[in-house]
Amino acid sequence: MAIDRRNASLHSVAPRRHRSIKRAAGKLLPYLAIMPAVVTFVVLLGIPVVLVIETSLQHFGLRELINGGQTWVGLANFQTIIGDPEFITVVIRTFVFMAANVATTIVLGTLVAILLERLNSKVRLLLSVAMVLAWATPALTGSVIFQWLFDSKLGIVNWALSSMGVFGDWLNHSWFDTGLSTFAIITLLIVWQSIPFVAFSLYAGILAIPKEQIEAARVDGASERQVFRHITLPAIRPLLMILTFLSIIWDFKVFTQIYTMLQGGPDGQTVTLSIYAYIKGLSESRYGIAAAVSVVMVMLLMVVLIPYIRSMTKGQVEQ
Amino acid sequence: MSRRARRAVVNGTGVVVALLFAFPVYWMVITAFKGADQIQTYVPVFIPTPTLDNFTKAISQPHFTDFLRNSVVVTMATVGLAIVVGFLAAATVARTKFRGKGSFLLLVAVAQMAPFEALLIPFFLFMRDTPVYGQLPSLILIYFIFTLPFTIWSLRGFISGIPVDLEEAAMVDGCSRLGAFMRVTVPLLGPGLVATSIFCFITAWNEYFYAFVFMTDAQNYTLPVWLGSFRTNFGTDWGATMAASTLFTLPVLVFFLLIQKRMVSGLTAGAVKG
Repeated sequence: MAIDRRNASLHSVAPRRHRSIKRAAGKLLPYLAIMPAVVTFVVLLGIPVVLVIETSLQHFGLRELINGGQTWVGLANFQTIIGDPEFITVVIRTFVFMAANVATTIVLGTLVAILLERLNSKVRLLLSVAMVLAWATPALTGSVIFQWLFDSKLGIVNWALSSMGVFGDWLNHSWFDTGLSTFAIITLLIVWQSIPFVAFSLYAGILAIPKEQIEAARVDGASERQVFRHITLPAIRPLLMILTFLSIIWDFKVFTQIYTMLQGGPDGQTVTLSIYAYIKGLSESRYGIAAAVSVVMVMLLMVVLIPYIRSMTKGQVEQ
Repeated sequence: MSRRARRAVVNGTGVVVALLFAFPVYWMVITAFKGADQIQTYVPVFIPTPTLDNFTKAISQPHFTDFLRNSVVVTMATVGLAIVVGFLAAATVARTKFRGKGSFLLLVAVAQMAPFEALLIPFFLFMRDTPVYGQLPSLILIYFIFTLPFTIWSLRGFISGIPVDLEEAAMVDGCSRLGAFMRVTVPLLGPGLVATSIFCFITAWNEYFYAFVFMTDAQNYTLPVWLGSFRTNFGTDWGATMAASTLFTLPVLVFFLLIQKRMVSGLTAGAVKG
């Protein structure tokens, strides 16, 4: 009897247990599959983030790097940088530089997108290919090319300006003597490389507007400008927002183009926050100070980033 | 203005803008093929008699093959790591429901926006304590974390784009859940995997900042570090510099042309819906 019952219960339990193991495994599988990614994020992103905050609260110089024994100094590093007039200049400069780049990129990118829509198919292909060339050029190569274009003796820009005869003689004009002029060239480089992405995205957005809508407005006597203001612009506004956010993020932390152009020169006049953090940390070995600069940089960027990330994940999680 | 004249003005503007965009790249390539006499003139030569001298000089620089090999190793390892780890996560997110999925996606979004330029100091302090400091694996790890968030995001989009009905049909025909995914969806993912890999390739191939700071030993330089220090390598030899730049840019350009259309939709796709 007892044996029978045991057998009976075994028979009825076995498939159920098998099934529940399978179901448990099925529940675990997603976690196993995302595990490598999670571990990567925790180790390669989590640790540096904790480390930058920790270091920003410590006195950490070359001696500490070699011997250890860094001491906690509270917010002293932050007080040091905020009390440094150079740092304030650098912050303001970074924002002005970013704003100039973003505004120029977005405005010109919008104009090019509108232009793309009106071109005949051959010229449109030509312009698209030309823009892909600019877009694909690595930042480093772009920087090298622009130094060559604006070279004082053999650069083609000085030759072109001089031979137009309108702007006077630009022979041997050095573009890299003043901070403003150097920034102008860096901005030109960044805008040249950033417009294609903005223009292509907006062009795709414009194409998605129903043709009937625009035609109906034209039939009703709307001018080109009115069509743009009341139909095109509202339709591409969300896209414009995203592109502005992305441009702000990218242009705020530019390093390669500025550093390879003139290492922040002439005379430190093109030093922005990312260059400043690099100089403080890696050149002057003041790691605590550099970490504090990095923390400030991230916090300034956060102000812009939080609404963006929120809007980006909102639509995604529900799916 | 007549309609015809207006069209001509618009198309003319288009041609001028196209020339402005293409000119720097054209000037790089054309300079690379010029002899020294055609570079050292004030009046520029637009269509040179081509010579390969500059290219010979650029690739015969000491250690050029080492730098090339370093770049290839770092880039390939980054692509491999990001695609394997990213694919596992992307497939899970796209095809299963699990607790914490929302938090995981948020983590990916935050990671994608992380300002890595601001994390140089902690990465430096972190890597310094590991045995890979100053060696290629430290760069591979950094580029891996750079590219992983986008890889997950992008592959997830491609997988979601393949209707789950196809897999269900296969399951009705007796496939297991995983079997259906492997036999039906994965073979259709070719273009998505190629596009995402190319994105990772370009990121790792182009990266200068971390390579410049982390590779202290000259023999571990990647091509960008080498190009970035061209001024001292070549003096003001613009011909060799432009030849080196052309060689460095060429693979990026080829790959970029292949995925250009997807880059536009990929980068903003997630955002437009929100």
